[in-house]
Amino acid sequence: MLQKVLLIDLDNCVRCYACELACRQEHDLTYETKSRWCKVMTIEPRWVNQELHMDFVPVMCVQCDDPICAYFCPVNAISKGEDGIVAIDEEVCTGCRLCVHGCPYGALFFNEMRGVIGKCDLCINRVHSGIEPACVQHCIGGALQFVSHEELNNITLGEHILRMGMVYYASSKWKLRKLG
Amino acid sequence: MVVRVEGDTSSEVTQGTLCAKGLASKEILYHRERLLHPMKRSGTRGEGKWQRITWDEAFDTIVNHLRSIEERYGSESIVLATGTNRGWVRYFTRFANAYGKQWIGPGIAQCFYPRISGQMLVLGTNAMENPDYNATRCMIIWGCNPTTTWPVKGLGIMEAWCRGAQMIVIDPFFSEAASKAHLWLQLRPGTDAALALGMLHVIITERLYDETFVDNWCIGFDELVKRVEEYQPERVETITWVPASLIREAARLYAAIKPSSITQCLSIDQNADTISTSRSIAMLAAITGNIDVPGGNLITMLTEMSPVSDETGRQWLSREHHEKRLGRAQYPLLAGEACVMGPSAHNFTVWRAILTGRPYPVRAVYCHGSNMLRTYANTKMVTDALTKLDFFVVADLFPTETAAIADIVLPAASWMERSAVTRNEQTSISHLHLQQKVVQREECRSDLSILNELARRLGFADRMFPGEEAYFDFLLQPSGLTFEEFKRLGVVSCPHVFRKYESEGFHTPSGKVQLYDERLTSLGYDPLPSYQEPSESPIHTPELAKEYPLIITTGGRVPVFRHAELRNIPVLREIVPELEASISPKTARALGINNGDTVIVESPRGGMEAKARVTEGIDPRVIQVPSHWPGINNVNLLMDNEKCAPMIGGAQLRCQLCRVKKRE
Repeated sequence: MLQKVLLIDLDNCVRCYACELACRQEHDLTYETKSRWCKVMTIEPRWVNQELHMDFVPVMCVQCDDPICAYFCPVNAISKGEDGIVAIDEEVCTGCRLCVHGCPYGALFFNEMRGVIGKCDLCINRVHSGIEPACVQHCIGGALQFVSHEELNNITLGEHILRMGMVYYASSKWKLRKLG
Repeated sequence: MVVRVEGDTSSEVTQGTLCAKGLASKEILYHRERLLHPMKRSGTRGEGKWQRITWDEAFDTIVNHLRSIEERYGSESIVLATGTNRGWVRYFTRFANAYGKQWIGPGIAQCFYPRISGQMLVLGTNAMENPDYNATRCMIIWGCNPTTTWPVKGLGIMEAWCRGAQMIVIDPFFSEAASKAHLWLQLRPGTDAALALGMLHVIITERLYDETFVDNWCIGFDELVKRVEEYQPERVETITWVPASLIREAARLYAAIKPSSITQCLSIDQNADTISTSRSIAMLAAITGNIDVPGGNLITMLTEMSPVSDETGRQWLSREHHEKRLGRAQYPLLAGEACVMGPSAHNFTVWRAILTGRPYPVRAVYCHGSNMLRTYANTKMVTDALTKLDFFVVADLFPTETAAIADIVLPAASWMERSAVTRNEQTSISHLHLQQKVVQREECRSDLSILNELARRLGFADRMFPGEEAYFDFLLQPSGLTFEEFKRLGVVSCPHVFRKYESEGFHTPSGKVQLYDERLTSLGYDPLPSYQEPSESPIHTPELAKEYPLIITTGGRVPVFRHAELRNIPVLREIVPELEASISPKTARALGINNGDTVIVESPRGGMEAKARVTEGIDPRVIQVPSHWPGINNVNLLMDNEKCAPMIGGAQLRCQLCRVKKRE
């Protein structure tokens, strides 16, 4: 397994979209590819306990522990590697798109220019060169962090909201409140 | 060939980040619609027929036309126009002053100048632009949304926020910043001055101000005390709609927690009385002792590293030029000699001169980097005026709708295609950054080189610098570097010196903070800040409000575009494909409007269309419409540009009246 995981602190996301553009540039995802591996979703303003809330949620492939997309692939092009990254073998992929429909998170995309499936690989090439994933480096709010399990525990006090595969969603505002 | 544009992880300023717009730079550089060669109009104006010409022919044509118009109609019949600050605007100002021509820009009376002028009057510095997020414990974010519009500021704000600094956001609209706030003051658009005066009232009556600082460094405190008596929170609540309890809470938080900072931006400039607004906000920082202290609002260090003001050549302007500048009588802080920044002509007065020939004819406009048909209020008037010109030149990156009605179009260089010494408080108050040309696209030229060549042919090259490098050397002089040496360093910084006023005083006539200003008395204005209703409002113009019952606040930005730019970049447009008008559920219900419907918004100036975004984030009496969209989505079609803010002449873009209906 990789030594690090992606921590997404929802309260720190300011919807600046730098992650989306950083991802597109890093992986050469031009507009024509119709591939938006990283996407910031908005939960529109609503009242919660007399307080108006609006939230932003960066989403991308979470590198599932047991990736459903792999079951959908008729040619076995998708596999979870030893580093934990769910990888697509482009040599094998036929571009049939069954996995795109099978992924419950909408994290896989058919690359219209290259004719194969693509998705977030946590910028594995950058990580192997000792550089942070592109979305993490460019995040203005500090919402995206690439951290070790130990750092993760220090930041979230072990109480993240949700873990899916290698992605941990947390809420620091909630944590600050808890700390008093 | 540029293959990638990334954040610089070694930078103290960006810490490796870069905004969505910056990350899309390659898309701008190699966009298929880029202007790559000079062109001249071959059909009728606006017909869209163009002929490619050489730079030599372009310059010749420009010089010949400008000379003959000047001979026939006089020097003031030629007006220069610039866009927002892109690193060459000060040089453009120098060109205008050297040439002896008046100039306009949307980034002047409508942006930047009002808030800078106001705080310069009070503080003699632009400290209100420079909150120190490193040590701040309380932040007021006043009418801005920096994570969207000012990412280097957004970065600091979020770091302070993560440390637990209190965040007070003042905005009629539930922005990204407001969604992070501990206190959100949802005020009526355009009433910022009343709110600031109400907060001053609380801080003064509850003696929360810094008595030592006020005694030693402020003049006019007694007069201010008397003035703010009128602004007790209960009265301010009726003006601003902000509950008195919340006004008290915000004022107490800001004054009691030390150090505290204020971040303000564009909405201050597009307000009812922009000078009173920016002055009273600067006074909040001053009387609480938050000027040039760690965690407060800092006085720039750039003056130690680079000459900021003496390059614009204001001294070349003749008496006659000053007297003839359009808007001078009405807006002395914009177009008069008393101005703090500029002087610059008043845009509405220029359009009127083009259309009517009064007080004298304006027949030619020479413009760099400004899509005027989108960026100025009252699009119809601007279009009519520019279409009527005898001669119109536009230098830009793209064939904008403004370039489409020009006679000569010049291909300008984007930031990757030109060098610069970046020394702008809006980036950093203590760093000079290198911008080095990395690529040449076809015949594109830097604005500096276009202006230099034009100055040579017009016969005033001696007032400009002999080349770009000579200009950069001049800018670097106080730092002791040449541009050649600077190129090897990339960045120069200088450690911040706090409380500089203790050794050098404040750069005002009294050497102190001027809460009371006799300069304004001598111009015939109130020496103290006060609240004035917007030129259009349910209170000020009740008859108009019967027909146009909703307040429209415009000028808000979305994260992936800069002003009128970048909507033609597909990867950015995909994120925000359409213009959305934010309207409250209550109002939408009353008008039979559903989320996603196309609505028509109308004012006495005209109508425009937007997609309705029905949201809890806006008061039922207000709609919010972002600006700078093209065609029928351009909110400037609605906006009045005649009833401007006093003294400085900014269009009141944040607070006018409109009505909304569903498009059937």
